[in-house]
Amino acid sequence: MDIRLMRPSDIPQVQQTNITNLPENYFVKYYMYHALSWPQLSYVAVDVGRAVLVVLFSFNKTLQVSRPKKTPYDAPKVVGYVLAKMEEDPADGVQHGHITSLSVMRTHRRLGLAEKLMRQSQRAMFETYNAVYVSLHVRVSNIAALALYRDTLGFKVGGIEAKYYADGEDAYSMRMDLDYLREEALDAEDADGEGTVGQDEGGEVGSAGKTAEGSDAAKKKEKKRKVKVGRQLGVGELVERNESSHQAQANGTS
Amino acid sequence: MAGKPAQLPSKEASLFRHLVQNYESKQYKKGLKAAEQILKKHPTHGDTQAMKALILSNQSKHDEAFELCKLALKNAMKSNVCWHVYGLLWRQIKNYEEAMKAYKFALKLDPDSIQIQRDLAHLQVQVRDYQGFVQTRRTMLQAKPQVRQNWTALGVALHMSGDLSGAENVLQKYEETLKSTPPKSDIEHMEAVLYKNSIVAEDGDVSRALEHLESVYKMALDRTAVMEMKADYLLRLGRNEEAETAYRALLARNAERRDYYEALEKALGLDRTNSEDQQKLLEMFQSYAEKSERLDAARRLPLDFLEGDIFREHADKYLRRMFRKGVPSTFANLKQLYSDPAKKETLRELAESLLSEEPQTNGGAETGEANGSIDGTHKPARLDAKTTWQISINYYLAQHYDYYLSRDLAKAQQYIDKAISLNPSDTDYTYHMTRARIFKHLGAVDKASQAMNEAREMDLRDRYINTKGAKYQLRNNEHENATSTMGLFTRKEAVGGPLGDLVDMQCVWFITEDGESYLRQGKFSLALKRFKTVYDIFETWTDDQFDFHSFSLRKGMVRAYVDMIRWEDRLREHPFFSRAALSAIKIYLMLHDRPQLAQQSQMDGTNGENAAERKKAAKKARKEAEKAEAEKKAKVAKQSQPKADEEGSTKKEDPDPNGYELMKTEKPLEEAMKFLTPLLELSPKNIDGQIAGFEVYIRRKKYLPAVKCLLAIQQLEPDHPKCHEQGIRFRLALDSLSEPLPPKVKEVIDSSYLSQTSSKSLEECNEEHLETHQSSASHVQSVARLRSILKPGDEATKSKGAKDLQGTLSLDGIILEQAVDGLNLLNEIEAGSEAREAYLQAAQKRWTEATVFKAP
Ligand SMILES: CC(C)(COP(=O)(O)OP(=O)(O)OC[C@H]1O[C@@H](n2cnc3c(N)ncnc32)[C@H](O)[C@@H]1OP(=O)(O)O)[C@@H](O)C(=O)NCCC(=O)NCCS
Repeated sequence: MDIRLMRPSDIPQVQQTNITNLPENYFVKYYMYHALSWPQLSYVAVDVGRAVLVVLFSFNKTLQVSRPKKTPYDAPKVVGYVLAKMEEDPADGVQHGHITSLSVMRTHRRLGLAEKLMRQSQRAMFETYNAVYVSLHVRVSNIAALALYRDTLGFKVGGIEAKYYADGEDAYSMRMDLDYLREEALDAEDADGEGTVGQDEGGEVGSAGKTAEGSDAAKKKEKKRKVKVGRQLGVGELVERNESSHQAQANGTS
Repeated sequence: MAGKPAQLPSKEASLFRHLVQNYESKQYKKGLKAAEQILKKHPTHGDTQAMKALILSNQSKHDEAFELCKLALKNAMKSNVCWHVYGLLWRQIKNYEEAMKAYKFALKLDPDSIQIQRDLAHLQVQVRDYQGFVQTRRTMLQAKPQVRQNWTALGVALHMSGDLSGAENVLQKYEETLKSTPPKSDIEHMEAVLYKNSIVAEDGDVSRALEHLESVYKMALDRTAVMEMKADYLLRLGRNEEAETAYRALLARNAERRDYYEALEKALGLDRTNSEDQQKLLEMFQSYAEKSERLDAARRLPLDFLEGDIFREHADKYLRRMFRKGVPSTFANLKQLYSDPAKKETLRELAESLLSEEPQTNGGAETGEANGSIDGTHKPARLDAKTTWQISINYYLAQHYDYYLSRDLAKAQQYIDKAISLNPSDTDYTYHMTRARIFKHLGAVDKASQAMNEAREMDLRDRYINTKGAKYQLRNNEHENATSTMGLFTRKEAVGGPLGDLVDMQCVWFITEDGESYLRQGKFSLALKRFKTVYDIFETWTDDQFDFHSFSLRKGMVRAYVDMIRWEDRLREHPFFSRAALSAIKIYLMLHDRPQLAQQSQMDGTNGENAAERKKAAKKARKEAEKAEAEKKAKVAKQSQPKADEEGSTKKEDPDPNGYELMKTEKPLEEAMKFLTPLLELSPKNIDGQIAGFEVYIRRKKYLPAVKCLLAIQQLEPDHPKCHEQGIRFRLALDSLSEPLPPKVKEVIDSSYLSQTSSKSLEECNEEHLETHQSSASHVQSVARLRSILKPGDEATKSKGAKDLQGTLSLDGIILEQAVDGLNLLNEIEAGSEAREAYLQAAQKRWTEATVFKAP
């Protein structure tokens, strides 16, 4: 099992994994929207271990194997993914990431894949976009995911969003500060002088401190906001919204 | 839309501006109103008519829109607005060629319009007209060199057109125009810099790429990317020590990445196949394994290259660790090793002997339920160490004996039953799932479906097992059950019920499986309908890139954009496409050979169900649709979203839900080409594609492409039965040619294996082939098929064929799928019901569980 960045060519498989595991589904275009807006944030777990023996029609052997039908075009077998983004207009004014979707195939659960996917994504949010925290929603009944987020990764429950899901279930809204990455980065720098992360600490720490207060108020505000779920989050809508606002802009200047 | 409503008086001119604004903000109703107001006074105002047409087109009223726009053009031949709109209308209906023509015309009238240039550029990249794209982008840059996007865009255009140094140059020039270095927070800038760097490397100048990368390294925000680029350059330049450091730094961030380990091995000068290096490699992997208990790769990878006793030792360790933890994916993680027979044996021996051992508990080895339930009502059962151990090993062995390289299904059943009996959980369906899978491999698709359904019912809120359940129902041709199973997780309000929602949500696997099931049952129109739906989904995925031509430039994530373009270029190489395409082609070939199928499928009660049932179903569907529509309206009303309403994009009903219209095609082979062309172009090494290609081309009497397919098959797999079968059929076709072949074709044939100059007849060649291939069912089948093609209707040939096919059933190597092929072939060669009965009986004896051989 490999953990690596999601590439555009993984999208059909990721989309299939999502619709296999979860009721909240999206068009391929919405995955593209993630991959082309924040290409550093989404990760996949790929099963690289498939037998490559092909003994097709070797008639002089007793064993004739007609499976698996191997072609050089077999798609990578995606067994897990995390689809992530940055919040575009954060209500609290604080840069933060958001987990759009996470799932791992049943056959590959409890291997630590979800945890590893999440950690890669979180680090990229911090490094590339200076994210202060990462947020997500989870069904209140989803014990496995809750355990993963809260116990393994260290997320905190921020509140409950009533009837967040299409079927009427409530969601916990959870979040996690990414401060620990700043320390890790400093440690790494100390360790090998590689200069892993070029964040300029001074100013950041200050602003991070400031945001901590602001974000509580924002959370309350967030709760009231009508949140769109799943497909309503609308690929076309997001892309087109930008499109038209841009057009209007271009029109204004030209 | 920078219109020039010059001729309008000021009141109408201002209305026209509103009209344009309304269009841009998608307020179509208002826009139409404004247009009407203008047209009342100035009924022949072309630009207004054009704008109105544009709105109509956005409301999917394409015919009306075109009619009006043509009128507008008549009234204002020289208006760039009208021509621009005309292009936009073509674009709406995806006729990009016509759209580009119209844009170019508009540009002639208004060469400086940035809008039109931009629209043209987007189309040019969409259709991959890179020369045109470069030209348009160059013009745009010259007009507005102060806009960074214009530089980046020209860079991309040059890059895509293959002019790497040109691309680098443009990106470089832009940087030089900057008076000061942009701040580090300027993501767009940093991205452009890395993009330039990747072009330098792609051009092959790795050392210059490295030098440049180092100059921006600290600044870069995309850490993973720069670290990977640097490591890669160092390794390619042979700077191994530094490469080692770089890869170790990457592994410190992500130790589950095979590429990193492989590169590190290279940097260390270690070779997996060299036994002297293996010890060092082992130490290297161990040093990583020790770093984290949760790491898999460093423990698993050495098993790839170790052999003999040392393999045994490490496999033993690996298995013990996994069994102790109760990791359900242990087999999935190891089966790659099964291509080596010795390792396969060792793993079996180890697992079997571990079964009789007690687990070593190294303190609190208590594990939760392997997968846990999604449902809060069931607490994950805590298993004691011994039970975990026992279940895991029995489960492993069940999968071992189920695997096609080590198959013994009776044993597999024993082990899985044991695992199930040990499993204390009511909700952990893992083992029940494998039980169903074993049934499937026995050919008992009915029992498999039942068993999977039992597994599904253990955890109704888990979509994964729901998906599996539906898939197995389809394998057993239970369409209704499968659809309602899926319906437990689709949107309740979806138009067209669960299937409508699955089509909407581009659920390719279900649509394909559904189609294949119809195909198995001879319900061709519905099958074709499904495969066409998959085709359409791929069309959508192609169109999806359109918006990103502008979006990505604004976002500035250029490397991802280029990745996307390259992926889209090869989109239909995906097995999702090939699979549906092969089945669709099969149906079109049948339609060509037996045109009466089209009527039959419609008349014979519709694909199977009787008329009453059909009526009932139609009524039900109508009711559902009405209900859904009502619910939707209610919802819209509740949320009061006038905007969505105004866009007027209600989902159209499918005018041909059963695929009858598809079946009526006059030109099935041309339709087949739509599927075949991408297949041959993008997946030339897929042998099934080449085989299908021959079938289509030989019917179209296109001999050269047919030969090409034959040659490809021969190159891919010279022993493939189709190589012989289609080769002979080709020669047969040549023999009965009314005109001589063009010299070019003849030349190709003469220089290939098809040019056998021997005096033997085709029949003799065929019988000779049988002699050397008697032990392969598929080859015997090919020979039998050929015989009946060479001597159609001949009774002796039929009975000989029947006898030979019957004989294949006692071959050692025959597998179930081949036996099913044989059964279908008996029908094809019209061997008669007696032969069929005999065949079925023998097949039943051999595959006692298989549903296909049982009487219906
Ligand atoms: C939630 C999910 C993504 C977890 O994936 P995973 O790869 O199995 O998780 P990991 O192996 O990384 O688990 C890490 C830790 O999370 C916790 N955890 C994971 N699954 C758990 C379960 N079923 N019960 C209790 N804890 C669990 C454990 O603490 C685990 O560590 P451990 O194995 O050392 O005890 C997976 O169960 C899934 O895909 N579920 C369906 C889709 C879904 O619910 N997605 C989340 C939507 S918000």
